[in-house]
Amino acid sequence: MMKRILMGMGLAALAAAQPQPGADGRQQITMPFRDPSMPRKLIVEGGTGSLTIRGYDGQDAIIEYTGREIPGRAGRGRGGRNASEPPAGMHRIGGAQGLDITEESNTVRVNSSGIFGGRARDMVIQVPAQTSVNVKTMFGGSMTIENIAGDIEAENFNGQVNISNASGSVVAHSMNGKITVSLNRVPPDKSMSFSTFNGDVDVTLPADTKARFKMRTDFGEIYTDFDVKMEANAPPVVEENKDRNGKSRRRVRIDGTQSGTINGGGPEMQFTTFNGRILIHKK
Amino acid sequence: MTCEEAKNRMTDYWSRTLGEADKQEFSAHLAACEACRSEVSRVDALWRSLDLLPVEEPSGQMRERFYEMLGAYRQGLASAETQPVKRWWTMPAWQMAAAGALLAVGLGVGYGVRGGGAQPPGEVSQLREEVASMRQLVALSLLQQQSASERLRGVSWSYQVEPSDKEVLNALVTAVNHDPNVNVRLAAVDALRPFTGSPATHVTARNAVVQALPKQTTPIVQVALIDFLAELKEKNAAPELRRLVSDPDIDSGVRKRAEWALERMQ
Repeated sequence: MMKRILMGMGLAALAAAQPQPGADGRQQITMPFRDPSMPRKLIVEGGTGSLTIRGYDGQDAIIEYTGREIPGRAGRGRGGRNASEPPAGMHRIGGAQGLDITEESNTVRVNSSGIFGGRARDMVIQVPAQTSVNVKTMFGGSMTIENIAGDIEAENFNGQVNISNASGSVVAHSMNGKITVSLNRVPPDKSMSFSTFNGDVDVTLPADTKARFKMRTDFGEIYTDFDVKMEANAPPVVEENKDRNGKSRRRVRIDGTQSGTINGGGPEMQFTTFNGRILIHKK
Repeated sequence: MTCEEAKNRMTDYWSRTLGEADKQEFSAHLAACEACRSEVSRVDALWRSLDLLPVEEPSGQMRERFYEMLGAYRQGLASAETQPVKRWWTMPAWQMAAAGALLAVGLGVGYGVRGGGAQPPGEVSQLREEVASMRQLVALSLLQQQSASERLRGVSWSYQVEPSDKEVLNALVTAVNHDPNVNVRLAAVDALRPFTGSPATHVTARNAVVQALPKQTTPIVQVALIDFLAELKEKNAAPELRRLVSDPDIDSGVRKRAEWALERMQ
C-alpha cells in the first residue's frame, strides 16, 4: 500500500495569499480514498481552533482550513519571534503549520498538531457520509460532526462536542464542554456512550429506539420525554460515622447510576456527567 | 465413511437434514465404529433428556437477549475468522458445543422462569459451563475490537460471565488502564464491580482498582475510581488519594472527591 503524504506547508505556498496582514486565506486540500476494498475511515488529531466534519455526497476527503488569531496569544510564535505580525509591507504565504495529511488503506489521517504560527486553525473536513470518524483534539475549540452514517468516536478536551444528523454509533466525550448528539437512526446492535465532566449531555433519539440506558450525574438532574421503564436502583447506602465533635452522623446515599429501558430494551447507551444535566429527547 | 466424515455429518443427523444416501452410510459407519456409536448415543441421551423437559415460553426480553447474544457470538466468530488462526469452530465437536450451549441457554431461561428449585441434571450443568466459556469468548473477542462501540459491547458482555473469570477480569483491567477511549475506560471501571464480590477474584480486582488510579489523567475516570475505592473502603488507596488532594494540577472536582473518599474510609 502506497503512502501518500501532503505537507500543508507546500500547498499553502501554492495557494493564493490573502492581502490582509496577519490573516491567512482559506486553504483547501483534497485527498482521495483510494482503496474501495477497505472501509472508509477518517482519523483526526486536532490542534487548536474549531473543527467541523461533514458528510457530503462525494468521494474524496476535502480539508479546508483558515488561520485565526488566538486572543492573548499574539506575538508568542515559535522561537520567541513575533509570528503573527508580518514585517512592514509583507504578508504571510506559508510557514510552520504542523499539518500532516496521509492516506493509507482507505484511512485518511489528518494530524494538525501544535499551533499554527501563533494562531488557531479552524478546519472543515468533508468526507463521504458513509465514513467512520475518529476525532481527538486536545486544545481545540468546539467540535462539530454532521451527516455522518459511519461510526463516530469523538473526544474533545476543552470545547463542546456537537454531533447532528448521525446514523451510526456514537461514542463521545468532552472534558469541559457540553455534548449534544442527534441521531437519525440508531443501529440495532451498537453500544453507545456519551460523557462529559463539566457540562450537559443532551441526546436526541428516534422515538422507536430500543435501548437500555445507564445514566449517571453527580451534581445534576436527568430529564427525558421517553417512557423509560426504570430498573430497581441499588439499595441506598446508609452511612454512620462520627463528626469532629464525636457526634454521630447518619447519611443515606443513593448510588448515582440509574438504569432503564425504552421500547422493551436493546443495546446499552451510557450517559455520564459529573457536573451537569442529562437530557434525552425523543425525536 | 471415515470417522472424520461421520463426525462432519453428526450435526446434520441430529437436525434431521441428512440425505437418504448419507443416512445409510452414516448408520453403516455407526454399526462398525464403536467410538462414533458411543458419541452419538451419549448426545442422543442428552437430546432425549432435553425433550423431557417442560417447554417454557421465554418472555419477550429473554428472546431479545438470546438473539443479542447469538448475534454477538456470530460476530465474534466472524471477526476471529479474519485472522489466519486454526478454524477450530468448524470442527463438529465445537459446533455441537455451540448448539448445546444455545440449548442450555434455553434451559437456563426455563429454570429461571420456573423460579429455580429443581437441581439441573449433570449434563445441564456441564452445558452451563460451556455457555460460560462461550460468553467469555464473546466478551474477550469484543474487547479486542478496533471500534470503541464494539469494545463497549465487550464490557457489557463481561457482566454475563462468572465473576470468578480471571481472563475476563484481566481484559477489563487492561481496558481500564490502556484503552485509548475515555468512555470505554469509564465503562470498564464499573464492570470491575462484580469481581470485587467474588472470593476467587476480589483480591486481584481490588488491587487493580488501587493501581489504576495513579495511571488515569481523565477526571471523569478518576472520579469513577475514587468513588469505587470509597465504596470498597480500600485503605491501600489512601496515599494516592492524599497525593491527589494536595496536587494543584489536578482538577478541583477530583480533589474534592478524593478528600470526601478519605473521610469516608475512616
